[in-house]
Amino acid sequence: MKSKRSHEGYILFDHSNSPGLPDDVARKAGLPVGAGRGLFEAPTITCSHCQTVLVINPLRNREREYCRKCDHYICDGCGAAIKAGGECKTMAQVFDEVCEDAIRDQQLTRSGLLFKKE
Amino acid sequence: MAKRSLSSTTITPTAVADTVAMTNNLWLGTLFGASATQRTIISEIYIGGQSTASAVAIPLFARDSTVPGTLVAGTMFDAPVDPATAALAAPLLTGNSATTPPQRSATGHLLNLSFNAFGGIVRWLAPQGAEIGIVGTAVSLGSVSLSQFTGGAGIMGGHIIYETS
Repeated sequence: MKSKRSHEGYILFDHSNSPGLPDDVARKAGLPVGAGRGLFEAPTITCSHCQTVLVINPLRNREREYCRKCDHYICDGCGAAIKAGGECKTMAQVFDEVCEDAIRDQQLTRSGLLFKKE
Repeated sequence: MAKRSLSSTTITPTAVADTVAMTNNLWLGTLFGASATQRTIISEIYIGGQSTASAVAIPLFARDSTVPGTLVAGTMFDAPVDPATAALAAPLLTGNSATTPPQRSATGHLLNLSFNAFGGIVRWLAPQGAEIGIVGTAVSLGSVSLSQFTGGAGIMGGHIIYETS
Protein backbone atom coordinates (compact mmCIF):
# COMPACT_ATOMS: atom_id res chain seq x y z
CA MET A 1 0.00 0.00 0.00
CA LYS A 2 1.34 3.41 -0.98
CA SER A 3 1.63 6.22 1.51
CA LYS A 4 1.36 9.89 0.64
CA ARG A 5 5.06 10.22 1.41
CA SER A 6 5.90 7.78 -1.39
CA HIS A 7 4.93 10.57 -3.80
CA GLU A 8 7.54 12.91 -2.37
CA GLY A 9 10.64 14.02 -4.21
CA TYR A 10 13.70 15.64 -2.71
CA ILE A 11 15.37 18.99 -3.08
CA LEU A 12 18.72 20.18 -1.79
CA PHE A 13 20.03 23.72 -1.57
CA ASP A 14 23.58 23.70 -0.30
CA HIS A 15 24.90 27.14 0.58
CA SER A 16 27.31 25.85 3.22
CA ASN A 17 30.18 27.54 1.42
CA SER A 18 28.25 30.36 -0.17
CA PRO A 19 26.72 33.69 0.84
CA GLY A 20 23.36 32.08 0.06
CA LEU A 21 20.06 33.59 -0.95
CA PRO A 22 18.44 36.67 0.59
CA ASP A 23 15.14 35.81 2.25
CA ASP A 24 13.08 37.84 -0.22
CA VAL A 25 14.48 35.81 -3.15
CA ALA A 26 13.92 32.56 -1.27
CA ARG A 27 10.30 33.53 -0.59
CA LYS A 28 9.75 34.38 -4.26
CA ALA A 29 11.11 30.95 -5.16
CA GLY A 30 8.55 29.31 -2.89
CA LEU A 31 11.05 28.45 -0.18
CA PRO A 32 10.65 29.02 3.55
CA VAL A 33 12.51 31.92 5.12
CA GLY A 34 16.03 30.83 5.97
CA ALA A 35 16.12 28.15 3.27
CA GLY A 36 18.69 30.17 1.35
CA ARG A 37 21.28 29.89 4.11
CA GLY A 38 23.45 26.89 4.92
CA LEU A 39 22.19 23.44 4.00
CA PHE A 40 18.49 23.10 3.25
CA GLU A 41 16.93 19.76 2.38
CA ALA A 42 13.21 19.26 1.95
CA PRO A 43 10.69 16.91 0.40
CA THR A 44 8.88 18.09 -2.71
CA ILE A 45 5.55 17.19 -4.23
CA THR A 46 4.71 17.27 -7.91
CA CYS A 47 1.17 18.47 -8.52
CA SER A 48 -0.54 15.62 -10.35
CA HIS A 49 -2.74 18.06 -12.28
CA CYS A 50 -0.15 20.53 -13.63
CA GLN A 51 3.21 18.97 -12.63
CA THR A 52 4.43 22.07 -10.81
CA VAL A 53 7.00 21.05 -8.22
CA LEU A 54 6.37 22.42 -4.73
CA VAL A 55 8.84 22.47 -1.89
CA ILE A 56 7.05 21.33 1.25
CA ASN A 57 7.26 24.07 3.84
CA PRO A 58 7.53 22.38 7.22
CA LEU A 59 6.19 25.53 8.88
CA ARG A 60 2.99 25.69 6.82
CA ASN A 61 -0.17 25.89 8.93
CA ARG A 62 -2.72 25.98 6.13
CA GLU A 63 -4.25 22.81 4.79
CA ARG A 64 -2.26 21.28 1.94
CA GLU A 65 -4.38 20.80 -1.17
CA TYR A 66 -5.16 17.18 -1.92
CA CYS A 67 -7.25 15.56 -4.65
CA ARG A 68 -9.23 12.55 -3.46
CA LYS A 69 -9.96 11.43 -7.01
CA CYS A 70 -6.36 10.96 -8.10
CA ASP A 71 -5.06 10.43 -4.55
CA HIS A 72 -2.28 12.99 -4.91
CA TYR A 73 -1.31 16.28 -3.40
CA ILE A 74 -1.91 19.17 -5.77
CA CYS A 75 -0.76 22.77 -5.90
CA ASP A 76 -2.76 25.63 -4.40
CA GLY A 77 -3.81 26.86 -7.86
CA CYS A 78 -5.20 23.48 -8.91
CA GLY A 79 -6.76 23.11 -5.47
CA ALA A 80 -8.59 26.40 -5.93
CA ALA A 81 -9.77 25.25 -9.37
CA ILE A 82 -11.19 22.05 -7.89
CA LYS A 83 -12.97 24.00 -5.17
CA ALA A 84 -14.43 26.29 -7.83
CA GLY A 85 -16.04 23.29 -9.50
CA GLY A 86 -13.21 22.10 -11.70
CA GLU A 87 -12.72 18.43 -12.45
CA CYS A 88 -9.77 16.24 -11.61
CA LYS A 89 -7.67 15.69 -14.70
CA THR A 90 -4.15 14.48 -14.15
CA MET A 91 -1.27 15.32 -16.44
CA ALA A 92 -0.92 11.58 -17.11
CA GLN A 93 -4.46 11.60 -18.54
CA VAL A 94 -3.62 14.64 -20.68
CA PHE A 95 -0.51 12.87 -21.99
CA ASP A 96 -2.57 9.76 -22.84
CA GLU A 97 -5.06 11.91 -24.75
CA VAL A 98 -2.26 13.62 -26.72
CA CYS A 99 -0.83 10.23 -27.70
CA GLU A 100 -4.25 8.79 -28.61
CA ASP A 101 -5.06 11.84 -30.77
CA ALA A 102 -1.70 11.55 -32.55
CA ILE A 103 -2.19 7.84 -33.21
CA ARG A 104 -5.74 8.42 -34.49
CA ASP A 105 -4.47 11.16 -36.83
CA GLN A 106 -1.77 8.82 -38.14
CA GLN A 107 -4.33 6.08 -38.76
CA LEU A 108 -6.71 8.43 -40.56
CA THR A 109 -3.88 9.82 -42.68
CA ARG A 110 -2.77 6.29 -43.62
CA SER A 111 -6.31 5.29 -44.52
CA GLY A 112 -6.72 8.36 -46.73
CA LEU A 113 -9.54 9.84 -44.65
CA LEU A 114 -7.37 12.73 -43.51
CA PHE A 115 -4.94 14.60 -45.68
CA LYS A 116 -1.50 15.04 -44.20
CA LYS A 117 -0.71 18.62 -43.25
CA GLU A 118 1.92 20.18 -45.48
CA MET B 1 13.92 3.30 -22.52
CA ALA B 2 17.14 4.28 -20.83
CA LYS B 3 18.26 7.18 -18.77
CA ARG B 4 20.33 9.88 -20.40
CA SER B 5 22.09 12.95 -19.05
CA LEU B 6 21.96 16.37 -20.70
CA SER B 7 24.81 18.31 -19.16
CA SER B 8 26.73 21.54 -19.41
CA THR B 9 30.21 22.27 -18.11
CA THR B 10 30.21 26.06 -17.80
CA ILE B 11 27.54 28.46 -18.92
CA THR B 12 26.73 32.05 -18.01
CA PRO B 13 23.04 31.94 -18.81
CA THR B 14 21.44 35.09 -20.15
CA ALA B 15 18.47 36.16 -18.08
CA VAL B 16 15.29 36.22 -20.16
CA ALA B 17 11.71 37.04 -19.32
CA ASP B 18 8.82 34.72 -20.09
CA THR B 19 7.75 34.52 -23.74
CA VAL B 20 11.05 36.00 -24.91
CA ALA B 21 13.40 34.04 -27.15
CA MET B 22 16.37 32.54 -25.33
CA THR B 23 19.90 33.39 -26.45
CA ASN B 24 21.68 30.61 -28.30
CA ASN B 25 24.27 28.72 -26.23
CA LEU B 26 23.30 30.75 -23.18
CA TRP B 27 20.56 28.73 -21.53
CA LEU B 28 20.80 25.51 -19.57
CA GLY B 29 19.14 23.15 -22.01
CA THR B 30 15.91 22.19 -23.74
CA LEU B 31 14.29 18.79 -24.16
CA PHE B 32 12.02 18.60 -27.21
CA GLY B 33 10.03 15.60 -28.42
CA ALA B 34 11.02 13.94 -31.68
CA SER B 35 7.63 12.51 -32.62
CA ALA B 36 3.95 13.15 -31.95
CA THR B 37 3.66 10.25 -29.53
CA GLN B 38 7.05 10.33 -27.84
CA ARG B 39 7.03 10.63 -24.06
CA THR B 40 9.91 11.62 -21.82
CA ILE B 41 10.20 11.96 -18.07
CA ILE B 42 12.67 14.17 -16.20
CA SER B 43 13.86 12.63 -12.95
CA GLU B 44 16.73 14.80 -11.76
CA ILE B 45 18.14 18.30 -12.16
CA TYR B 46 21.44 19.42 -10.67
CA ILE B 47 23.15 22.80 -10.90
CA GLY B 48 26.45 23.79 -9.33
CA GLY B 49 27.54 27.40 -9.06
CA GLN B 50 30.90 28.45 -10.49
CA SER B 51 30.87 32.20 -9.95
CA THR B 52 33.79 33.86 -8.20
CA ALA B 53 31.64 36.49 -6.49
CA SER B 54 28.15 36.44 -5.03
CA ALA B 55 25.57 36.02 -7.80
CA VAL B 56 21.92 35.18 -7.19
CA ALA B 57 20.81 32.88 -9.99
CA ILE B 58 17.17 32.16 -10.84
CA PRO B 59 17.15 29.05 -13.03
CA LEU B 60 13.60 28.07 -13.93
CA PHE B 61 12.57 24.72 -15.33
CA ALA B 62 9.48 25.46 -17.38
CA ARG B 63 7.38 24.44 -20.34
CA ASP B 64 7.91 26.37 -23.54
CA SER B 65 5.20 28.46 -25.18
CA THR B 66 7.27 28.47 -28.38
CA VAL B 67 8.95 25.18 -29.20
CA PRO B 68 12.48 25.31 -30.66
CA GLY B 69 13.09 25.11 -34.38
CA THR B 70 15.97 22.80 -35.39
CA LEU B 71 17.34 22.33 -31.91
CA VAL B 72 21.02 21.32 -31.77
CA ALA B 73 23.46 20.56 -28.95
CA GLY B 74 25.16 23.97 -28.80
CA THR B 75 27.28 23.90 -25.65
CA MET B 76 25.41 20.97 -24.07
CA PHE B 77 26.39 17.30 -23.93
CA ASP B 78 23.90 14.46 -24.16
CA ALA B 79 25.02 10.98 -23.20
CA PRO B 80 23.47 7.76 -21.93
CA VAL B 81 23.91 7.08 -18.24
CA ASP B 82 24.53 3.40 -18.99
CA PRO B 83 27.18 2.75 -21.69
CA ALA B 84 25.22 -0.27 -22.95
CA THR B 85 22.27 1.90 -23.96
CA ALA B 86 20.91 1.29 -27.47
CA ALA B 87 20.16 4.35 -29.59
CA LEU B 88 16.51 5.21 -30.20
CA ALA B 89 15.20 5.34 -33.76
CA ALA B 90 13.95 8.87 -33.07
CA PRO B 91 16.03 10.27 -30.21
CA LEU B 92 14.74 13.18 -28.19
CA LEU B 93 16.07 16.53 -29.38
CA THR B 94 18.23 18.25 -26.78
CA GLY B 95 20.59 21.20 -26.57
CA ASN B 96 20.75 24.96 -26.15
CA SER B 97 20.96 26.29 -29.68
CA ALA B 98 18.19 26.53 -32.28
CA THR B 99 17.29 28.38 -35.44
CA THR B 100 14.20 29.49 -33.53
CA PRO B 101 15.09 29.50 -29.84
CA PRO B 102 12.37 28.39 -27.45
CA GLN B 103 10.40 30.80 -25.30
CA ARG B 104 9.47 30.05 -21.72
CA SER B 105 5.77 29.81 -21.06
CA ALA B 106 4.47 32.37 -18.57
CA THR B 107 2.01 29.81 -17.22
CA GLY B 108 4.22 26.73 -17.35
CA HIS B 109 6.78 27.32 -14.61
CA LEU B 110 7.45 23.90 -13.10
CA LEU B 111 10.42 24.27 -10.79
CA ASN B 112 12.28 27.27 -9.40
CA LEU B 113 15.88 26.48 -8.52
CA SER B 114 17.05 29.85 -7.21
CA PHE B 115 20.49 29.63 -5.60
CA ASN B 116 23.67 31.59 -5.15
CA ALA B 117 26.09 30.67 -7.94
CA PHE B 118 29.04 31.61 -5.71
CA GLY B 119 29.58 28.20 -4.12
CA GLY B 120 25.93 27.14 -4.08
CA ILE B 121 24.54 23.81 -5.20
CA VAL B 122 20.96 22.84 -5.98
CA ARG B 123 19.68 19.37 -6.77
CA TRP B 124 16.13 18.09 -7.31
CA LEU B 125 15.13 14.45 -7.46
CA ALA B 126 11.69 13.42 -8.66
CA PRO B 127 9.75 10.73 -6.87
CA GLN B 128 9.29 7.57 -8.89
CA GLY B 129 6.00 7.78 -10.77
CA ALA B 130 5.61 11.54 -10.34
CA GLU B 131 8.31 12.86 -12.63
CA ILE B 132 7.88 15.91 -14.82
CA GLY B 133 6.96 14.78 -18.33
CA ILE B 134 6.75 15.96 -21.90
CA VAL B 135 4.79 14.41 -24.75
CA GLY B 136 4.71 14.95 -28.49
CA THR B 137 6.10 17.93 -30.33
CA ALA B 138 3.43 20.57 -29.91
CA VAL B 139 3.09 23.59 -27.65
CA SER B 140 3.12 23.45 -24.71
CA LEU B 141 3.58 19.86 -23.64
CA GLY B 142 6.28 18.95 -26.17
CA SER B 143 9.16 21.02 -24.88
CA VAL B 144 10.71 22.04 -21.55
CA SER B 145 13.70 24.27 -20.88
CA LEU B 146 15.97 25.18 -18.00
CA SER B 147 16.76 28.87 -18.28
CA GLN B 148 17.71 31.91 -16.26
CA PHE B 149 14.81 34.16 -15.26
CA THR B 150 14.94 37.95 -15.30
CA GLY B 151 17.19 39.30 -12.55
CA GLY B 152 19.31 36.18 -12.25
CA ALA B 153 23.06 36.06 -12.83
CA GLY B 154 26.05 33.80 -12.38
CA ILE B 155 28.18 31.09 -13.92
CA MET B 156 27.04 27.50 -13.53
CA GLY B 157 27.12 23.96 -14.82
CA GLY B 158 24.80 21.06 -14.28
CA HIS B 159 22.77 18.23 -15.70
CA ILE B 160 19.25 17.03 -16.39
CA ILE B 161 18.58 13.27 -16.16
CA TYR B 162 15.75 12.13 -18.44
CA GLU B 163 14.30 8.98 -19.88
CA THR B 164 12.45 8.67 -23.17
CA SER B 165 9.90 5.94 -23.84
